[in-house]
Amino acid sequence: MYSVTHILSCSPAQVVADLAEVVLARYPAAAVTLITGPRMALVQLRVVEGVAESQFNAGEVLVSEVRLELAGQFGFGMVIGRAFKHATALAVLDAALRMPGDPHADLRPRIAALGQALAAEQERRFAAAAATRVAFDTF
Amino acid sequence: MGYVAVRGGTEAVLRAEELAACLRLLGGSSPLQLPQISDQLRHAVSRAMHEGALYAPLLAALAVKQAEGDSIEASFLLRAYRTTLTRVMATLPASGRAMACMRRISASFKDIPGGQLLGPAQDYQIRLLQPLLALEDDDALAQALMRYAALVAAGAPQAGAIGHFPKVAAYLRTEQLLVDPPLETEAEPFDLTRQALAFPCPRSARLQALAQADSSSLMTFAYSSVRGYGDAHPTLAELRYGYLPIQVAHPLTGEAVTIGEIEATECEMVSKAHSVSNSSAPPRFNLGYGFAFGQSEVKVMSMAILDSVMTQARLGSLSGASGPAANEEFVLLHCDGIEASGFTAHYKLPHYVTFEADLRVLDRAREHHEAQEP
Repeated sequence: MYSVTHILSCSPAQVVADLAEVVLARYPAAAVTLITGPRMALVQLRVVEGVAESQFNAGEVLVSEVRLELAGQFGFGMVIGRAFKHATALAVLDAALRMPGDPHADLRPRIAALGQALAAEQERRFAAAAATRVAFDTF
Repeated sequence: MGYVAVRGGTEAVLRAEELAACLRLLGGSSPLQLPQISDQLRHAVSRAMHEGALYAPLLAALAVKQAEGDSIEASFLLRAYRTTLTRVMATLPASGRAMACMRRISASFKDIPGGQLLGPAQDYQIRLLQPLLALEDDDALAQALMRYAALVAAGAPQAGAIGHFPKVAAYLRTEQLLVDPPLETEAEPFDLTRQALAFPCPRSARLQALAQADSSSLMTFAYSSVRGYGDAHPTLAELRYGYLPIQVAHPLTGEAVTIGEIEATECEMVSKAHSVSNSSAPPRFNLGYGFAFGQSEVKVMSMAILDSVMTQARLGSLSGASGPAANEEFVLLHCDGIEASGFTAHYKLPHYVTFEADLRVLDRAREHHEAQEP
């Protein structure tokens, strides 16, 4: 249901960091090269408005961003808010999951489990709203 | 008494700031923690974010604390902070269709696909103070968790049900009830942070200006148009509040990368649109759009009303007197709370030289007046 990046960006930062540690434990420290970050930055929010389906700039979103190389593989991590640890973990996992031959395929079931936990949490969140659904009486 | 230019006062300014900082805590209450503000003063945080044009809930909480609750000052702090950071990219276009709705209502149709969800709302409460809130203690948290669990149980969580709904406006469009939207020819949406407004402006500039405008100013302009200084007769097609996933393009592959969710409010307003300029076209409704960070309902409704009024005014399809709210230049140049408050507040600063000039003009006018008297 959710993409890998949706799962990882919306999961608790510590859980994602633990997953990145699993990857980093397989490499020497020198295998990681930071290209930029971790740093705070802005992304401009483009919104599709509901009249003509055209786009406009609705403001900026504060993000944390990291770009790195893991054993020569580029990795990109960005997450909303001030969350350097989370962004770094996302970059490590991005690099790991892009590597030729998929050497970190064992991460995927763990990410899928995180996705199930996220789905359950969001289903509960919506259920609280669904409890306020209006039942109209027609006269 | 002489009227001269002055300099100095640095020590007085520093001590004035120190005095203000002290007064915040001299009452003896515990200092506010930022999570308390972001959790319990949600609307103040939302307002600081959308008027500051920066989505950053914890920083907005800090701004609210530093500004001692002054909403315009808080948004000013956030907008100033925004200028210290690098913009690295724009997001991929985010549509309200992707919102995981917590609240979704329509005043146009009773039955909308998915139903009407009141969500977190206080619209229907009697406006009486709740004295028990003054007595809240740590038990309140445990009680809130229990009440929330009961709401979740009442809503019966279902696999895959996270609050995605079709737009009411899509139904209106399918039924050909809406006027054709204005054509936009820009390759990129207008950016107020890089370009100066000139009129007539692209609609993307209008929407950006309204999205970061002072909520009270928008409400006043929209109210004037609805109440009689204009010809707006709006009906709420749909208002939704919830969580909007945000995506950017991966810098290596270009594929969509989700970077999290933001809280946002979105609305579409329909209003009657008499076809004055094109009488051969069948009568249809006009549509206006509003969007803001956080839960900010009056803001987005006011924005949508004004968007619709300005579009109709530009097309010449307003049937009655247009009123000041239909004057796009007037509204957009006066709705930014930070600009307006900054300009108004600057009159507190010394104007000794300009006032001296005013006095000399006044003296000459008096002399002239006396010379004219018989």
